[in-house]
Amino acid sequence: MSDVILETRNLTREFGALVAVDDVSVSIEAGSLHSIIGPNGAGKTTFFNLVSGTLRPTSGRVFFKGDDITQLPVHRTIHRGIGRSFQITNLFPNLTVLENVRLAAQAMGGDSLRFFRSHRRFSRYIERAMDVLEQVGLTDKAAQLAGTLPHGDQRKLELGMILAPDPEVLMLDEPTAGMASEQVPELMHLVQSIQESGDKTVVLVEHNMNVVMSVSDRITVMHQGALLAQGSPAEISADERVQTAYLGELYKDRQGDR
Amino acid sequence: MTTVRDGTTLQSSVRRWLHHRRGLLIATGLMVLFPFVVSLVVDGQGISAVFANDEGNARFLQGLAIEIFILALYALSYDLILGVTGLLSFGHAMFFAVGAYTFGIMLKTAELAWPTALLVVLAVAILQALLFGVVLPRVKGIAFALITLGIASMFWIVIQSSDLSDYAGAEIGLQGIPAPARFLDSTNERFVFYLITLAILVMVYMLYTRIADSPLGKVANAIRDNEDRALMLGFNTFWFKLVVLVIASITAALAGTIHTIHQPIVTPNVASLGYTVTALLVILIGGVGTISGAIVGAAVFRLLQYYLDRWFGGSSDLLIGAAYVLLVLYLPYGIVGTWRVKRLQIADGRKRLAALFRS
Repeated sequence: MSDVILETRNLTREFGALVAVDDVSVSIEAGSLHSIIGPNGAGKTTFFNLVSGTLRPTSGRVFFKGDDITQLPVHRTIHRGIGRSFQITNLFPNLTVLENVRLAAQAMGGDSLRFFRSHRRFSRYIERAMDVLEQVGLTDKAAQLAGTLPHGDQRKLELGMILAPDPEVLMLDEPTAGMASEQVPELMHLVQSIQESGDKTVVLVEHNMNVVMSVSDRITVMHQGALLAQGSPAEISADERVQTAYLGELYKDRQGDR
Repeated sequence: MTTVRDGTTLQSSVRRWLHHRRGLLIATGLMVLFPFVVSLVVDGQGISAVFANDEGNARFLQGLAIEIFILALYALSYDLILGVTGLLSFGHAMFFAVGAYTFGIMLKTAELAWPTALLVVLAVAILQALLFGVVLPRVKGIAFALITLGIASMFWIVIQSSDLSDYAGAEIGLQGIPAPARFLDSTNERFVFYLITLAILVMVYMLYTRIADSPLGKVANAIRDNEDRALMLGFNTFWFKLVVLVIASITAALAGTIHTIHQPIVTPNVASLGYTVTALLVILIGGVGTISGAIVGAAVFRLLQYYLDRWFGGSSDLLIGAAYVLLVLYLPYGIVGTWRVKRLQIADGRKRLAALFRS
């Protein structure tokens, strides 16, 4: 068994009466591609928000490499090495594609409060940004405004902004959301190559079952905020509870549960 | 810059700098020559009339130009927080008025020497930026605008209160402020003061273009565009906004200080909401977030205001209003902003035309 890089213990978040994340304990192994699936409203995005520091849990803890990062503010988790993307595209629409990624790279250096030198003099951030743009295939669109990119390219840019700081864990919240289906394999191939090329861990939220089953090392299934099942893709696809959760009451009815 | 990179000599980097700044250098040179030209052409007097501080158009227009420089400094500081960082403050007049009042009171009541008074202004400017900074992490957008409006309104009321009339002069404001030094005297040494103000404006402008292009300025742009994303990239946006506020506060207070020396009276008007709106109008005319637009806008604003008033008297306000409507309609990004967009479009079109001929 390899090392656990990210771990949650009894993570719970309540919004009033609604328990969005209910006592979730997950261990994510370093270097793995770990998918989190579940029907809409299962609490996947809330779980991401809790781990990345956007939200505080009602109870429970988050550990990164053994350190408790539960209370770490959102701008600090990225410095620890956890990068996070968003289900809804979240960019700087009025800045260029290059500038979007360059800022992500600049955030990792200690030069951001410098105000008497041109940002062009800090060429390492520009070089890093150009490398990342090449990796995600946006080199020829570097000078365009991010807001004018087609949706598929914006998803790639979103991925680029996470790659630029070179995090150890990439948390991708539906990276293919809204993408044309012919573009999905390209992006997923990219995600896989990132995970395989380096010592990166990928935590993936995804709805496309074909994608999830083919790329994941491990799968966690959430349902109504709680952990439903965990295991390898083969175990998950054979799990009856998972089938019920996905196919719903109708499925149960057909089984004659009444 | 004294840093010389490999392969480039000091000479070539100086040449590059001169080339890069040629527009600014030419404009500055023209402004230095301006009083002499007016004296020769309009007044029919010699060059010596400028040095002798003789009455005439040359002297008067220098006074108007100084007012434009002051307004430009003030608008520059507003462009840094609104245009570059995207912070909508409705309390900006306070930044200016605090400088104007502090410097006046330090000279008149405390009878300090001007360098000491200037240091007091600096300290007070930093303190008030920190005061605005206290509310920064808690509110955003319109809420920030309203809270800054509240702080500035309190200041506006306090300086007009009769309890402080010994210092701030209540509704009348500060009068009888002594000239701080022989060369800081707009009445008796107008040309010297004109040059000093011009030099300050040029230096602050260069500093501001540097800031806008620096790593800090780029983070400020990111905050303007999408603050939450900037936070999630790992920037603690609070510190960036605070630094920007401190720089803007010092600049506006400096503008207020020069205003005090030039006038040399300070009225509560400069602390009113109307004066914040003036800053907003100036950068809307010049182009929000363009830096140089603040200077262009200040010139257009003050000249329109002065000449329309002189030619049309009481109905000038109506004409000024109409002029703003036209400007916003036809120059939606302000003068400098629209010019930049057009220039890009022209360059783009030229490229396409060239490609058409090549094929």
